[in-house]
Amino acid sequence: MDQFWKVVVERFGEVVTRTGEHFVLTGLSTLIATSVGIPLGIVAYRTQRLRHVLVAMVNLFQTIPSLAMLAILLVLLGKIGIAPALIALVLYALLPIVRNTVAGLNEISGDVIEAGRGIGMTDGQLLWRVQLPLGLPVIMAGVRTAAVVGVGIATLSAFIGAGGLGQFINRGLATYNTNLVLLGAIPAAMLALLVDGCLSLAEQAAKPTPFTERHKLRYRLKPAFAVLPVVVFVCGMFLGAVGGAKDDARSSSSADVVTIGSKNFTEQLLLGELMAQLIEGHTDLRVERRFNLGGTMICHNALVRGEIDIYSEYTGTALTAILKEPGTTGPEATYDHVARVYKRRYGLIWLEPFGFNNTYTITVRQSQAKKHNWNWISDLVDDAGDLHAGFTSEFMERQDGYPGLKETYGLAFGKISDLESSLMYGALAEGQVDVICGFATDGRIAVYNLLPLEDDKAFFPPYYAAPIIREEVLKKHPEIGSALARIAGRLDDATMQRLNCKVDHDQMDTRSVARAFLGGLQ
Amino acid sequence: MIKIEHVYKSFDGGRSFAVQDISFEIRQGETVVLLGKSGCGKTTTLKMINRLIERTKGVIEVDGRDVSRADPVMLRRSIGYVFQGVGLFPHLTVEKNIGTSLSLLGWSKSRQKERVRELLGLVELEPAKYAKRLPGELSGGEQQRVGVARALAGSPKYLLMDEPFGALDAITRDVLQQQLLEIQRKIQVTVVFVTHDIFEALTVASRIAVLNQGHLEQIGTKQEIMNEPQTDFVREIFARPSSQLRHYKSLL
Repeated sequence: MDQFWKVVVERFGEVVTRTGEHFVLTGLSTLIATSVGIPLGIVAYRTQRLRHVLVAMVNLFQTIPSLAMLAILLVLLGKIGIAPALIALVLYALLPIVRNTVAGLNEISGDVIEAGRGIGMTDGQLLWRVQLPLGLPVIMAGVRTAAVVGVGIATLSAFIGAGGLGQFINRGLATYNTNLVLLGAIPAAMLALLVDGCLSLAEQAAKPTPFTERHKLRYRLKPAFAVLPVVVFVCGMFLGAVGGAKDDARSSSSADVVTIGSKNFTEQLLLGELMAQLIEGHTDLRVERRFNLGGTMICHNALVRGEIDIYSEYTGTALTAILKEPGTTGPEATYDHVARVYKRRYGLIWLEPFGFNNTYTITVRQSQAKKHNWNWISDLVDDAGDLHAGFTSEFMERQDGYPGLKETYGLAFGKISDLESSLMYGALAEGQVDVICGFATDGRIAVYNLLPLEDDKAFFPPYYAAPIIREEVLKKHPEIGSALARIAGRLDDATMQRLNCKVDHDQMDTRSVARAFLGGLQ
Repeated sequence: MIKIEHVYKSFDGGRSFAVQDISFEIRQGETVVLLGKSGCGKTTTLKMINRLIERTKGVIEVDGRDVSRADPVMLRRSIGYVFQGVGLFPHLTVEKNIGTSLSLLGWSKSRQKERVRELLGLVELEPAKYAKRLPGELSGGEQQRVGVARALAGSPKYLLMDEPFGALDAITRDVLQQQLLEIQRKIQVTVVFVTHDIFEALTVASRIAVLNQGHLEQIGTKQEIMNEPQTDFVREIFARPSSQLRHYKSLL
């Protein structure tokens, strides 16, 4: 608990910024969804045939899982950041708003509608003076549902670099840090309650006040209720703008900014942070950090499109996952090959490797290995049918992952569960699974008494990590190359494992681990 | 004058007719009651006058103008209408309910306010007490008086009333019927009044039009209808008031 408060105090400024971002994301999407959804609802209400089509359509959006929706939009829009997140949130918000608009209008008694027509209202006057005011409480309830659900879904948009409180949650999950998860989850929950409260008051304000109640305080304050969400929204926007301005201040003249990306696990965050601090320390450039992007393909595409300028990649991953080529011979040959193809095909430059080889390792508990006398991956073949494996989703799909492993070794595990990379080690240590696809440099292998088995058939390609940078950025700022060269070859397997361990096990934050390491170098 | 000539209405594309070949006139300043059982076509006939329902065949003229050539919205603004249900807007105060008709006619806010007071006086509701209330806070009788006030707001020449007092208790109904007669005497509005209640018809009507299964059975003054029924149907439905009248007389 004390530790949690320490984190809160340390990162308070960032919490405010992220909350602001989160609010802007949710508020803006609800606003857009409302201004699209109410007209759609009116159209659906008026035309019976369109109603089914429209309601079916917004229903369909709702059934798409949020992460899948983000992934689809990422592909369609071809960019990371606010835009795909905003569109996803708008699509989700449409259903409650459209449905409640139709319901709110349907609920109005036919007598009242006829009365309006009978005294000579046009369709437009009927809509504005009678139908919308009478349907408003139900419509507002829909907006409220949309906004509250939106606060929750917006946490996921951090996966595609849209910021918000989800960023704390992702980093916390990636680095096994509960305090960070709470740092994102608690303000998100509070935000949801605040939004819910304000909009429920606005919903109240949308109902007419009976004459006999009008003297009561609750009703005298009613106009204020109606204004409250607006005030909160403006404050939230302001907060977001301040946060944005801070980011802008850092990136005031875009020519002097490099954007560094990273995938969403500890080592990547550390490498990103190390590169960022080196560039900040040894050049005049400003650094924008877009860490925690959802995976290899997201980082790669962002780099190709110039949304980020640098991230660190592993030679084996580049070879198999990006270039889709089979594993090759030695580490140097692999590096030379990917570097050559990357430059020609993508205009991306592989800088000098950091030094360590973060290969996949088929990892088991030491105790169990001793019992069964397991040393090599081949030793598992006979027992595999009784073993429960826990692999990351990426490993399950990659050619240099389970499909290839199965083929090469003839391994077929009895049961396989998809696990998040940061949760694998604990699950193995606690005996919930028997085999995992560990990373050679993960500190938890030592901490939890785990044993990486020898890759006796040399199935896994080398995974030497190196910074990749866009050629045009390097040409414009060759000083980046010399800054990053300072840690080239300085991070061997043991060092990287030690740094990872500081984050994963000792719960230190990546910035201070990186700072301490770089300080020790000089 | 409203003239209805050989009017038909079918709701099913001509297979059957809710109103068949009805013709009659409504003269300036009189109250014509359309009387009949439910489903006889009386409300349909009424709504065809201000085109809430479009006629299938025939001609309806208001002041010599064919209504089918008029803009339905403008037509409805020029004719007062009191609804079967209450038909007040539940989200608007009494004042705004009445004012709505006026604002549709383009009246300024201050003129509206003045006129609303006048109208509330006319239907005997104290403005100070009632102007700011919502319809839900009024009794049924009070609501229907506001309904009448709203219909009369723009000083229309014609007032269409669709079973306006049908949902009220007998005592309130009597009071409102008397009030209607008084209002009519004061402002000389021409009324078309739909009801299924023979006593109500006898109370408010100058002339009664008896409808049965979409046909007009007979139209005439109360005396004509009572004393010279032209069809069995008319004779039959007025037999009851006559027998009750004899019964009351025997009690006195």
